[in-house]
Amino acid sequence: MEIVVCVKPVPEAETRLRVAADGARLDAEGVKFVLAGYDESAVEQALLLKEAVAGSTVHAIALGPAPRTEEVLRAAVALGCDKASWIEVPSGGSDDPLDAARILAAAIRGLPHDLVLCGKQAGDDESGLVAGALAEALGVPGFGYVVDLRWDAARSRFTFHRAVESGQESWECPGPIVIGLQQAWNDPRTAKLPAILKSRKATITKIAASGAAASVATPEKFELPAPRTGAKMIEYRTPQEAAEKLVRILREDAKVFP
Amino acid sequence: MPEFSLTPDQESLRDLARKFARTEMAPHAAECDRTARFPEEIYRKAYDLGLMNLNVPTEFGGSGLGLFEQCLIVEELAYGCAGMTTSIIANCLALEPILLGGSPEQRRRFLTPFCASYQLASFALTEPSGGSDAGAIRTRARRDGDAYVLEGEKCFITNAPHASLYTVFATVDPERKHKGIAAFVVPRSAKGVSPGKDEEKMGHRASSTGTVRFEGVRVPAEDRLGEEGDGFSIAMRTLDQTRTPIGALATGIAQAALDLAAAYSLKRETFGKPISEHQAIQIKLANMAQAVHAARLLTWHAAWTIDHGGKGTLESSIAKCFASDAALDVADEAIQTFGGYGYMKEYPVEKLLRDAKLTQIYEGANEIQRTVIARELLRAYQ
Repeated sequence: MEIVVCVKPVPEAETRLRVAADGARLDAEGVKFVLAGYDESAVEQALLLKEAVAGSTVHAIALGPAPRTEEVLRAAVALGCDKASWIEVPSGGSDDPLDAARILAAAIRGLPHDLVLCGKQAGDDESGLVAGALAEALGVPGFGYVVDLRWDAARSRFTFHRAVESGQESWECPGPIVIGLQQAWNDPRTAKLPAILKSRKATITKIAASGAAASVATPEKFELPAPRTGAKMIEYRTPQEAAEKLVRILREDAKVFP
Repeated sequence: MPEFSLTPDQESLRDLARKFARTEMAPHAAECDRTARFPEEIYRKAYDLGLMNLNVPTEFGGSGLGLFEQCLIVEELAYGCAGMTTSIIANCLALEPILLGGSPEQRRRFLTPFCASYQLASFALTEPSGGSDAGAIRTRARRDGDAYVLEGEKCFITNAPHASLYTVFATVDPERKHKGIAAFVVPRSAKGVSPGKDEEKMGHRASSTGTVRFEGVRVPAEDRLGEEGDGFSIAMRTLDQTRTPIGALATGIAQAALDLAAAYSLKRETFGKPISEHQAIQIKLANMAQAVHAARLLTWHAAWTIDHGGKGTLESSIAKCFASDAALDVADEAIQTFGGYGYMKEYPVEKLLRDAKLTQIYEGANEIQRTVIARELLRAYQ
């Protein structure tokens, strides 16, 4: 089975974010980028399928500027992806998720693919659009928020579930197919030290970006949430004292209770 | 010119250790400290990820890292829990004599099966009568045909109760002092090897420390490392290699203490403002930051010197001594920043002080480090 897994570099959760000079984007200067958490799940899913279906190949593909995109592809290789391809686009290029989907689709058309996996959404802009748009651009079935993706070899079909309001859908579908993954069956694995060192020497194939349409959407403004104020720390020696002070605040200051 | 930025390779190794320390080690640090539990499941995971036999070449199944990369990893691990780190890196110390003193055949015979699965090894040098005075070893090795018979007791041995392999230093003739010491590789399974109970320690409580008795233990002569009189030199050259990571371990403790103190100072208010706005606290934080930074750079420099073929005795002694003193000072000031809360076991800073203390004592007490520093220094003036 030929599995393509799309990954994206996103700012590390603990990194300090600043707004860029244009006021419309995140300032990438000094930001540490990592493989997005949802994409780690997608990679894990790809590797679980590879382990279950003999002769499978996992091909990681990413779109973005140097060096962060190359770094997350190396992280994907360290986790166990067999190949990695990098579509280099400059920093500060189109922010339109549909453009990302079109460019990815143009590259993926040139690669063998029975299954294209994405995280359900990016860990930074959270658009959640690329998997669906990618399916449309490739002209194949696409499903989002998928869990428990498996390959039924006897019937040559993928089977999977979608958690929906108050229930669960069960699906089956032959490939090729695009899946936006809710989560992996297991916790994503951690790359081992020898694999990390080996991934540093792995070949990252460059693919020229093509397929972008003239995007009509541009980001206008990017704001960080205002720091919250008004938090009150209660100092106490015993739980009873903490509870008494809290009740007094809720009654007298916040007037939650009469 | 020196290069102070890390390569992408080094960053990725540091990130691995950082993630492991913060997600696997730190959440269990307080519990293991309180109960003195030896968290073998964490050590097993460290082995699985390649974070254990860092100094062993890849051809024998280790991670094959230089000292600089080892130090990057050790600092990150110690940030999560110093005690666990001591147990994780004890293999590096125990296996170094085989790397330095073993023949190619011995390296293959001992290291390859050892590194193929999760196993612990212990470096057995210190004795009840003394640690720093390694020339005064009393454990005897009597030649008997094609074997030696070991008699004696070692103490303060890291991981001793859990180890499957010991590198043991014993004298073939106490009269010959340093020149009579020989190094041996002894499996736990050898008849007459008996590890004692775990010691109750002030810090590093997730690590295990104990005695090992050798009673009539027959060790084949082919398991001796080097010649009969090479043991002392093997031990000293081992410590020349492993001293620098102790500087990194101490730096990790100090960085953790600084991070906790700085974060707390921004939250805690007195006299109507966060204590970070009081100069008294700012001066503490500035001093702590200087100590951490200097400890790290000294450690990096010592590691770099040794990786580039230098002996590094002076540099590694300075790094270990300075960083361990810094760790104790920074942990102490972190407690002071926390005030009464810092003294409470409910908060994580007092553990750092207890953990920091050991770094001044083990792998050569700081008094010995200063003796070494002075000797190396004065040599330049003579």
